[in-house]
Amino acid sequence: MLRFLASRLAGMLVVLAIVAVLVFVLTRAASGDPIAVLLGDQATAADIARVRVEYGLDKPLPVQFGYWLREVLQGNLGQSIFLQRPVTQALWERAEPTTLLSLMAVAIAALIGLPCGIASAVFRGRWIDSLFTGLAMLGASVPSFWLGLVLIQIFAVSLGWFPVSGYGAPDAPLAERLHALMLPAAVLGLLNSALIIRFTRASMLDVLGEDYVRTARSKGLGEGRVVLKHALRNALVPIVTVLGLTAALMIGGAVVTETVFGLPGVGSLVVNAVLRRDYPVIQGALLVIAAIYVLINFAIDLLYAVVDPRVKV
Amino acid sequence: MKAFPMNRNLVSRLGSASRRRLLGSVALAAAGLVALPVAAQAPRGFATLAMVAEPQTLDPMASSADLVGTIMQHVFEPLYTFDAQWNVVPMLAESMPRISNGGRTYEIALRKGVMLHSGRELTADDVVASLQRWIEQSSRGKAVGKVVDSLKAKGPLAVEIVLKEPYAPLAAQLALPSGMAAIMAKESIAAPLKDFVGTGPYRFKERKPDQYVLLGRFDRYSARKEPANGYGGRREAAIEELRFVPVPNANTRVEGALAGQYDFADLLPVESLGRLEKAGGKTLPIMTPAFGFPYLVLNTREGVAASLPIRQAIQTALGEGEMLAAGFGDTRFFVAEGNHFPKGSPFYATAGTDQYNQRNAPKAKEAAAKAGYKGEPIRVLTSRQYDFHYNMALLMAEQLKRAGFKVELNVVDWATLVQRRNDSKLWDIYVTHSGQFPEPMLSPPQLGDGAPGWWDSPAKKAALQAFNVETDPARRGALWGRVQQVVYDEVPYVNVGKFSGLSARSPALDNYRPATWPFFWNARIK
Repeated sequence: MLRFLASRLAGMLVVLAIVAVLVFVLTRAASGDPIAVLLGDQATAADIARVRVEYGLDKPLPVQFGYWLREVLQGNLGQSIFLQRPVTQALWERAEPTTLLSLMAVAIAALIGLPCGIASAVFRGRWIDSLFTGLAMLGASVPSFWLGLVLIQIFAVSLGWFPVSGYGAPDAPLAERLHALMLPAAVLGLLNSALIIRFTRASMLDVLGEDYVRTARSKGLGEGRVVLKHALRNALVPIVTVLGLTAALMIGGAVVTETVFGLPGVGSLVVNAVLRRDYPVIQGALLVIAAIYVLINFAIDLLYAVVDPRVKV
Repeated sequence: MKAFPMNRNLVSRLGSASRRRLLGSVALAAAGLVALPVAAQAPRGFATLAMVAEPQTLDPMASSADLVGTIMQHVFEPLYTFDAQWNVVPMLAESMPRISNGGRTYEIALRKGVMLHSGRELTADDVVASLQRWIEQSSRGKAVGKVVDSLKAKGPLAVEIVLKEPYAPLAAQLALPSGMAAIMAKESIAAPLKDFVGTGPYRFKERKPDQYVLLGRFDRYSARKEPANGYGGRREAAIEELRFVPVPNANTRVEGALAGQYDFADLLPVESLGRLEKAGGKTLPIMTPAFGFPYLVLNTREGVAASLPIRQAIQTALGEGEMLAAGFGDTRFFVAEGNHFPKGSPFYATAGTDQYNQRNAPKAKEAAAKAGYKGEPIRVLTSRQYDFHYNMALLMAEQLKRAGFKVELNVVDWATLVQRRNDSKLWDIYVTHSGQFPEPMLSPPQLGDGAPGWWDSPAKKAALQAFNVETDPARRGALWGRVQQVVYDEVPYVNVGKFSGLSARSPALDNYRPATWPFFWNARIK
């Protein structure tokens, strides 16, 4: 077990090191000047040059990378050029909406995807199967910005049930914030449920053909118990993987959905940072997202052991 | 899998009345979540104002972005401001400056009893320290600083500015809300600015980047006595709290306005006018005529456009009317006219406008050939940050091709454009726009020195020198005509025309007066 943990941790560090280098090189390879954006249209070339020096952007790239790496190793992701605050603070402020949104979206995706996937497998080839598989295809092919705008049209503009955008008023209680997250969570949940339906169906079909399922049925167990207790539990491994990866992807920022709904989450932070060429934010955020992704993958591996005792860690 | 039967047992153990209560509370909770917006419509002391982006900074001197000026003009006030006819009128100054010494000395008396947000009275020391900071830090302030010889307090409520040479735009420069010569408490001055201690009707409360900027009413605000007129006159914070919310997605701003979520939605796409008009009173469209002007900057230093006859040939080929139509679609949103300032402005002039909107391909082709044009590509730098920039650039490219020019369209994002335009090797024309300001020297920056395009010529110097030293407003109007003529003759930039701004307000927002930098003092929530 210890060896497994050590080797996985070492692997994680290698991945993060590669991400750090790649992110640094790619952000600097893109043209554009954060200082010109920061200072606005009327800034003179001399102003821009002066502020570039203040932010150390006049130094050679390897030196800049060295500085950044040294700070990162001390747990400091740097100072945002545009937001005028530490990157860690900026990320921390955006973590709440993104985390809540991801949890709600994954819950919605699971609540839709699991029952539909199970029903699809159980009633394979029947109309229920065709219906759910068709819906899954549709869900997988609809772009999120379009679904977002359609839901805004219906539920926010016409019916007025939800706010169009934002994360509630400044003094809003949690209930109001959750209320503001419902439409974007529905968009992400609906779209991601498509994947869950297909995975659940496939996984359940594999398992439902197994001998022990036939045995369970021959023992006279009810169909519900056979499907939910015997089959589902064994079908869960790939489903848990997909759910975990879905959550990880969303914590990395549901970029389009956050933009359409004006949510101040990690996704919009990264997009804005790219448009503003706010190098420290891009670098810091991507590094943290990569770390979360790697950690979730690690957690999923551990979870396999819980779900399936045959998997040894 | 054990959880499910346990929950079922729990529910079955509840009596039927309890079960109904449980169901009821679930339903209530759901309804409560859905009904929240209704509760929010109760009488309120705040206004939600959807802005186009997150402000770069809240320091009005650190950025010339309109958004920063729009928000912070509620917190900081300038010495002078503009009335509805764009005349410069006093704000923190008691009256217009006393100008002597052949236009070189400005004596400014301050209003008595003006309170700073820190609870102290404003003095001449605060004004001198603020203007000093403006001259050192803001890009417009630096330009003004070049002509300032001395700046000092002449008593507790008097300031004196002595200039090296007469500089007529001074009062207008001190009045502009963007890159504002904001007056702040001396002790709050720092780099970067952390405390926003001004004299405005609103005080800074809180900022959460990408979420909101909150301003609260300043109870001890000292208003002017004159009736409100444009940005000038009496200001009153009738709404207790202003909430500036960044909503960068233009469609989301439109939908939010249609849903009645915002009291004000800034800069909406012109295509949304039809929907806003049909919103059944949920939101009301606001048009701001002559809101701004798109302009093309030509590289006079290097490349194909460095040749004056080629620049003139390019101007001959352009049809600005078509370009505006491509950029703004609806004819209610643009005016194709060559005068750089609208009718009614003291700077309205027709000089040189016969060279506007010529769209004469054969003549341009002939002129280009005569100038020795050999098919070098004209590199047009544009961005899709603003759709109208891109659409106008596409059409311009076609017009230039029709006149025999070879055109290379470089479409980049805004951050790249603002970087590349500083390198004279990389472009021949770039597309941008500016707000329509009341004083010619405020925009475009090409009228000053060193801006991209690097326009510098004896005719420019002579015309601008005459214009800038004349302090009599009536004579300055005529002198602007001469500057405009030089711009048409030397084509350092092409003013494409004027466009209107579209925004929207909720019916609840009362007494709002449309303005280039929207302001919400004197507005109320019904």
